[in-house]
Amino acid sequence: MLNPRENLNVVSREKSLSELASGAEHSPSRLAMIIDYALKPFRRGRAPEPQPATGFFTDTSVCIGCKACEVACKQWNQLPADGFHWTGNSHDNTADLSATSWRHVKFIEQLIEPAVDTPARGDSSVNPLDLLSTDQDRPGRWLMMSDVCKHCVTAPCQQACPTGSLIQNEFENIYVQQDICNGCSYCVAACPFGVIGRATFDGHAHKCTLCYDRQRDQLEPACAKACPTESIHFGLIEDLRQRARERVETLHQHGVTAAYLYGDQATEGYSELNSFYLLVDEPAVYGLPDSPVNPWLQMKGDYLRAVFTAVVCVAFLWATLVLGR
Amino acid sequence: MRRKSGLPSPASDYLTKPPTKAPSWHGLVVFDVWFNNLTAGLFLVAALSQLIAPEPFSNVTRVAFPLAFLLLIVDLVLLVLDLGDPWRFHHMLRVFKPSSPMSLGTWCLTAYSLPLAIAALLALLGIQPGWFEALVLITGILPALGTAIYKGVLFSTSSQPGWKDARWLDSYLTSSAFLLGSALFVVLAIWMKQDRAIEILRPTLVGLLLLNGVTIGLLLVGLRDSFGSFDLRSKHWLIGLATFVGGYFMPLVLIAMVGRSTLLAAACLIIFAALISRYQLIQLPEAAAHRQAGAAVDPIQDSDRSTGRLA
Repeated sequence: MLNPRENLNVVSREKSLSELASGAEHSPSRLAMIIDYALKPFRRGRAPEPQPATGFFTDTSVCIGCKACEVACKQWNQLPADGFHWTGNSHDNTADLSATSWRHVKFIEQLIEPAVDTPARGDSSVNPLDLLSTDQDRPGRWLMMSDVCKHCVTAPCQQACPTGSLIQNEFENIYVQQDICNGCSYCVAACPFGVIGRATFDGHAHKCTLCYDRQRDQLEPACAKACPTESIHFGLIEDLRQRARERVETLHQHGVTAAYLYGDQATEGYSELNSFYLLVDEPAVYGLPDSPVNPWLQMKGDYLRAVFTAVVCVAFLWATLVLGR
Repeated sequence: MRRKSGLPSPASDYLTKPPTKAPSWHGLVVFDVWFNNLTAGLFLVAALSQLIAPEPFSNVTRVAFPLAFLLLIVDLVLLVLDLGDPWRFHHMLRVFKPSSPMSLGTWCLTAYSLPLAIAALLALLGIQPGWFEALVLITGILPALGTAIYKGVLFSTSSQPGWKDARWLDSYLTSSAFLLGSALFVVLAIWMKQDRAIEILRPTLVGLLLLNGVTIGLLLVGLRDSFGSFDLRSKHWLIGLATFVGGYFMPLVLIAMVGRSTLLAAACLIIFAALISRYQLIQLPEAAAHRQAGAAVDPIQDSDRSTGRLA
């Protein structure tokens, strides 16, 4: 039995074939095409039924920096390569999340450069790649983190979008409708995490879709599927938050007291994130804002100040014109 | 959201740049903000003059409304060209979303364009001012105010360093719109040799200039948190200082001097200094990012301080 989508394909194929056979093929006039182009963004489909919220929990303590998530993301979403650029920043040559890189593995080398006159350590028990080491005698550590769109519960990019292209979809993920976006870039300015970017190839904003197409087919996102260490967890957001708290507890019991969750709970200035992280150092070390603030919290005050100024200007103008006439 | 790790402050290249990404708003946006303020300001000043004191100003407004319309067209063209996909400019009108300053601004511009177009047409056709024109002008005032106001709120309602802390940016741009409109109105009055209008506008220009000076002072005080102390060696502050002298101090001196040519020079200085100050404002995120990169703690020195372990 065909599923509805396949059924639709068969119907449209049959229709095309019958049109060809009857010679009824006719191209729409240029005027009709222009009218269709102008009206298309104003047509509305039916919104899908809401589903339980999904998201990512990224446990950076087990990330090995293999970049399988980056590759899987690029492959599934057919994103172009960004070229080969040496950034000089450890193994990170992706540099940033962008319109063509929706996953970005960050590398933080917290290693101590040995002094020239210091003999090499002979202690074989010391593992220089121990990610979670807090021992002051050890030579340092590597931190790795697979960064992605945070799918904020209250997303500034979505609040900014003047076309309604950016929406919260039925899985409560932030999604860019590519047929609507006109590349105004206000979402780029609004995002406190520097996630979304405007592409040079089509001028539209692009970012992680949380593999919306895969989710609709009950598949997990490509990055989570490819992650070999289960650093990237995908699932129902409430389950993920519970799992993350348990993981933090476990790490604390094992002596990694620095482990904490970033974005699992709302703060005074920002909503919780549907893609949140387990970190073992300050957020800024990973290139994340320490205390993100939703710019919309200030908007009312800004409008009030501007309106007050306008009223003062009008009153002044009025007074000088009345006195001078 | 933040929790102290207790670990030594680490080396990280991510510390040296802001987590945000600057939008590609450059030259076109500088001119867009300038033309936005010019058209809205000129319409507001001309409309209020026409409504309150029609006799001395009616000749000047005959030219002011078509000019404001022309400036609006230029502004709209710049807005469209700045989009990543200009052929989708009409998608802006797909939703009315007051929570988005850009959406509200687009609707204000749309609502403002119609009465302005009618006012410009009436002026070009030489139809004598009457109740219909008054109705058109009154209808246009509110959306024109919205047009002047939304730009500043758009910039300050963002996560970009510099803009996000510029709480008085909207007030500055709003008062600047009135100032630019008055300055342009003065230029037209001088060009058309309207002596009564010039004499009424002279104190108006001084008052609006002082009011604009107050808002820029408040803006700078707010920005001090983003930029730390004012570094006079920095290129940005030097340009800012030159703009202040050229766009505020010099015009005040010139206006105080009697004579049309000095008033014309003052008005022209105000208009062109506003263009430079808009360039400065658009550069704020990059300037703030540059400062952050410069002020970022040297990782090795910082580690050294924390752990006392490094050579």
